[in-house]
Amino acid sequence: MGEAIVITSGKGGVGKTTTSANIGTALALQEKKVCLVDTDIGLRNLDVVMGLDNRIIYDLVDAAEGRCRVQQALIRDKRFDCLHLLPAAQTSDKSAVNAEQMKQIISELKPDYDYVIIDCPAGIEQGYKNAVSGADQAIVVTTPDIAAVRDADRIVGLLEQEDMSPPRLVVNRVRRTQEEDLLDVDDVVATLAIDLLGIIVDDEEVLKASHKGEPIVMNPNSQASLGYRNIARRILGESVPLMAIDQKKSLFAKVKSMLGLKV
Amino acid sequence: MAQALEVKQMSTEPSKNLVTIKGTKDGLTVLLDDQCSFDELIKELKEKMKKDKQVFGNGPEVEVKVDAGYRYLRSHQKEQIINLLEEAEPILVGEFHSKVITREQAEREKEEGGLTSVAKIVRSGQVLRIQGDVLLLGDVNPGGIIEATGNVYILGTLKGTARAGIEGSKNAVVCASVMAPHQISISDAIFYAPDRYEKKDRKPLFEEPVYAYIANEDVEISFEKARLLGQFLKKTAAQKENSLNT
Repeated sequence: MGEAIVITSGKGGVGKTTTSANIGTALALQEKKVCLVDTDIGLRNLDVVMGLDNRIIYDLVDAAEGRCRVQQALIRDKRFDCLHLLPAAQTSDKSAVNAEQMKQIISELKPDYDYVIIDCPAGIEQGYKNAVSGADQAIVVTTPDIAAVRDADRIVGLLEQEDMSPPRLVVNRVRRTQEEDLLDVDDVVATLAIDLLGIIVDDEEVLKASHKGEPIVMNPNSQASLGYRNIARRILGESVPLMAIDQKKSLFAKVKSMLGLKV
Repeated sequence: MAQALEVKQMSTEPSKNLVTIKGTKDGLTVLLDDQCSFDELIKELKEKMKKDKQVFGNGPEVEVKVDAGYRYLRSHQKEQIINLLEEAEPILVGEFHSKVITREQAEREKEEGGLTSVAKIVRSGQVLRIQGDVLLLGDVNPGGIIEATGNVYILGTLKGTARAGIEGSKNAVVCASVMAPHQISISDAIFYAPDRYEKKDRKPLFEEPVYAYIANEDVEISFEKARLLGQFLKKTAAQKENSLNT
């Protein structure tokens, strides 16, 4: 019996879909059986980020309404046999599915997989309720900016009312250089007061990878990729130290720190 | 048999004295029997008032206290008694005293008088509303609201909104270990945090625990070190006592 993990954030554009795709792929890299479920009905993206948008025949709404079996709606990933995607419908909206139907679909998927990763839409309305209804765990994604943290805080409050283990945090798009006026990871963790699952540095490669339809985690040379791989290992129960953010120091500073001088 | 006899005795007893008017140094007190039926009580009160009307005549206005003992009176029953008494022109019912209250009222008073402690983080979009005083073990995050009819004490960081004395108590305080609020209100006075661009370093307003209160005769909220809260509470308690006595 697998575990269903919902990836949520409240605010849009902080990287829920990217995080879902990459955590899913990173778990598949570890030879786990993973099913990605896109619940953003009407605004589906997960298939695009995974590069599977040309293979969709049936979708989540078809499965919910019984036009097909859940298994028929699943798309196999082109890279991993153990990674599947249940795409959202693009033609309906969030009200096309209710929480009960969603719960039913997730519980049908769970026996066949090690992890069911549910990509949640932005907002706290029906779409959010659907996505959360079938989940056993939650991962809250935020960026280190004040609006995203505020929304993440709201979501954590709502998740605490659900019957699931306490949510864990992913801080996305962490800048390499810390400016005085901006929030850093410690500020975010201090406000939200939940366990930090991992941080992902801000990396242009992530965007480029999305364009190619290939999750960044497939590229072993990117720091963002390493972040996602570490998160996957932490989900599997390994204890992985939080990576130090490469500060992109000047050569002079590097030499100084090598010599043990204060930078 | 015995009961019947008693009933007979009671009904024939002329001086049953269900209503006693007693003079004390504080004025007149009307003692109402709390064992007889309400109808009997009213009947006797009517008779008494008829008789005493002449006694009171058109004398100076007297304020009387009514003591219903262990009888619970509904509000319309209270009104009926007050109306009956005030039929005699000079009588004015000042205090209406009863030794019993309803369970609901007792529970409400207990809540209002008591301190409720809550251990949680009040997150964005959440409202924690408490009757009486509240002690929060945790933070109030930006966008979260904690409100109480009494005082608000926060053992943690106040980053959101705190409202004390929401039903009008101007003596209420908001006390926090770390004071970095969005907004504080006490009764109808409101304190807005300095705009964000003014405090770039995101530090709390004060280095140490403080409480917010309404300074004397002022509608503005002031802050004072939390270690002086004891003095403030003593002072307001004394003021309250004074206002009750006068």
